[in-house]
Amino acid sequence: MMVFPYKGYTGRYLRADLTRGKIAELPLEREWARHYIGGSGMASRILYDEVPPKVDPLSPKNLLIFATGPITGTVYPPSGRYCVVTKAPLTGIWGEAHSGGYFGPDLKYAGYDLIVIQGRSAKPVYLMIDDKKVELRSAKQLWGKNTSETTTMIEEEFGDRRVRVACIGPAGERLVKFACIMNDRSRAAGRTGAGAVMGSKNLKAVAVRGTGAVEVADFDRVWKLTEEAHERYTRGEWGKASHDSLYRYGTPGLVKWENEIGRLPTKGHYAGVFEYADDIGPDRFEREFITHRRSCMNCRIQCKKVSYVRSGPYAGTLSEGPEYETIVALGSNCMIRDFPAVMRANQLCNLYGMDTISCGGAVSFAMECFERGALSERELGMQLRWGDGDAMVKLVEMIAARKEIGNVLAEGVRAAAKRIGKGSGRWAIHVKGLEISGQDGRPHQSAGLTHAISVIGGAHLRALSSLDELDYRDTIIVRYGKAKSKELGDRLSTKYKGMLVKDVEDLYAIVDALITCKYGTMWPPVYYFDDYARILPAVTGIKEFGRVKEVRMAAERIVNLKRAFNARLGLDRKDDTLPERFLKNPMPHGPAKGRVVDLEPMLDEYYRERGWDVRTGLQKRSTLKKFGLADVARDLAKYKRLAKG
Amino acid sequence: MPYIFCYPERCTGCRACELACSGAHEGIFGPSNARIRAIREEPAIDIAITCRQCAKPPCATACPTAAIRKRRDGLVEVDGSRCIGCGACAEACPFGAIHVFKGIAIKCDLCGGDPACVRQCAPDALKLMTSEQVAAEKRREHADVLMRPALRKLGVK
Repeated sequence: MMVFPYKGYTGRYLRADLTRGKIAELPLEREWARHYIGGSGMASRILYDEVPPKVDPLSPKNLLIFATGPITGTVYPPSGRYCVVTKAPLTGIWGEAHSGGYFGPDLKYAGYDLIVIQGRSAKPVYLMIDDKKVELRSAKQLWGKNTSETTTMIEEEFGDRRVRVACIGPAGERLVKFACIMNDRSRAAGRTGAGAVMGSKNLKAVAVRGTGAVEVADFDRVWKLTEEAHERYTRGEWGKASHDSLYRYGTPGLVKWENEIGRLPTKGHYAGVFEYADDIGPDRFEREFITHRRSCMNCRIQCKKVSYVRSGPYAGTLSEGPEYETIVALGSNCMIRDFPAVMRANQLCNLYGMDTISCGGAVSFAMECFERGALSERELGMQLRWGDGDAMVKLVEMIAARKEIGNVLAEGVRAAAKRIGKGSGRWAIHVKGLEISGQDGRPHQSAGLTHAISVIGGAHLRALSSLDELDYRDTIIVRYGKAKSKELGDRLSTKYKGMLVKDVEDLYAIVDALITCKYGTMWPPVYYFDDYARILPAVTGIKEFGRVKEVRMAAERIVNLKRAFNARLGLDRKDDTLPERFLKNPMPHGPAKGRVVDLEPMLDEYYRERGWDVRTGLQKRSTLKKFGLADVARDLAKYKRLAKG
Repeated sequence: MPYIFCYPERCTGCRACELACSGAHEGIFGPSNARIRAIREEPAIDIAITCRQCAKPPCATACPTAAIRKRRDGLVEVDGSRCIGCGACAEACPFGAIHVFKGIAIKCDLCGGDPACVRQCAPDALKLMTSEQVAAEKRREHADVLMRPALRKLGVK
């Protein structure tokens, strides 16, 4: 086999055909590395080429790709991540979810950059990767087990607790549309329903034990950049800010801040201020619940927390998290101030394997249905009032089991609203079928644009900016100049936000290709293209990546390819929108009182910045060609999904 | 003789120490060649373990080829040229702090006095300390506990 010319990569990947029970070890394509770097960038080329529009996400023809990047497994922080890319069952479009823990690096140490899974096994199986020994094993005994039990059983089968397990729980087996993949027990590749794809393939788990190592092109340079990165993450102004919030409280630290700026989603995204935010806030979290601070592999931020409920009806609940997004989705957005109930629901979601954001979205949707009379007590089997933590926990169980109304909600709020009718679509809070994450565009206009254009639907991690959220004026001036800095720093202004979101989306395309964590880029906003133009060539030896221009080219190539995947499915400007709650219902109180999201001007600017057709939001041949995607332009033309120009 | 001490209540299990160690000694990044290891026990324990530079190292006693010795400055050192990779040291060490990698026993050498793992430890869980320094901290903690009621009476918080 030819030696892969670039470092950082292992140069090999696995292709598992579950229908035939065959696994092949293949050399990585050089072009994938040069054009798409790695991670979800590299996976985007594979998914675009191999999953044509007609493929049903839950059919054997869909691919499930586990991907790492060139940084994964090295000492450069925060690099202990992997992602899952697939055509998403919840939305029917581009699906992508990222996760931390130990799993990603171990896949590299075992010797593989990617795993591409296709087909469907006749019986439940799990994929075991023990360095070079790779095989499908029976998962008969694992089927029906929760994610923690599954992990323990595979560890026992290996006789080694160093095996890293990514698996689905009962929710994935039952094809709950927002089922996630859990790895290392408590880390989730959460969004868009990759767990259901795994379930549809009868694949219970992927277990990895790797004893190898990752080599880099220029060790001394990587070492130096790592020491610098360590300093930036742990010392100085940003390091201290990070330590005082993310290390101390974890992401729950955000609850307090977002409530102050009126951006804490409350009552199904109706409002942005929650009266009882302190009850689910960071101070109480630290005082009563945090028992241990944890971290993903090779991180310097260390945002993970183990929480333990000591008393009350949920006494004994011991789990990692809940994260900010979970506290919003299952807490404030359901008007719930019963923190232990949120922790119990978080634990249940982890054990059953469900995305807490979408699951919480389904619960708050059902609560609104009940309060407005679209769902009766008889249909629900209980009363489901805003703020009822016990009922919320019950409903989470019902969704995981697809029991009664849970079976309807397990399809996601878009489908559930269609089924329930009675005008419930108006409070089904999603974009492109994906339940909206814990932000609100009314007090933070660019967040509205972020949700509207996100390639996976209503999510924050593809393009959310903290520069305007917190008015980081100095950083704004360095990146975009002084002239635009006043409007850019104003979270209520829509001016230049199309440009800002485009730039951040490009940056995250690189972050998701390397793969590193959003912490360090989203917040604190320390890492930028120039940093990646330093580390990428040092790790890979690909000299072109030493130029910011080339890194930006790769970013736009990746963004355009993912967009083309959705365009080919029929999506365009009409889909880049928000629920009317954000566009028409003014914020009822708080700092952004009276505001709606002024989306259209931001969208116009965003499309212009992207070089896409402003009227339709479709891509142009000239734009695609500029990024080396002439073949994609030809393909889109075939489907009549290419704009003129 | 100082050794790398780990505060388990601070350790987060990020394993940056393993990667720093692997890089510093081998020029590559793989935990299996790290001389320090972070151990995670569910549901809430993380701790890094490495050589304590014992005063009477059992690994040296167990070594059949006398490849391991206690140096005059206190460091327990493996002579790679004499090591036969039998693993008797790994069996003898009560802490799992030495093992055979690619045919030779490897263990913490304190990186010549400025350990890479300590430098890369974000939560400051690792510290180069002598047992006297560890004991001094423990004494201080114990004294604080003893004095707390008396101080409270005086109105000191």
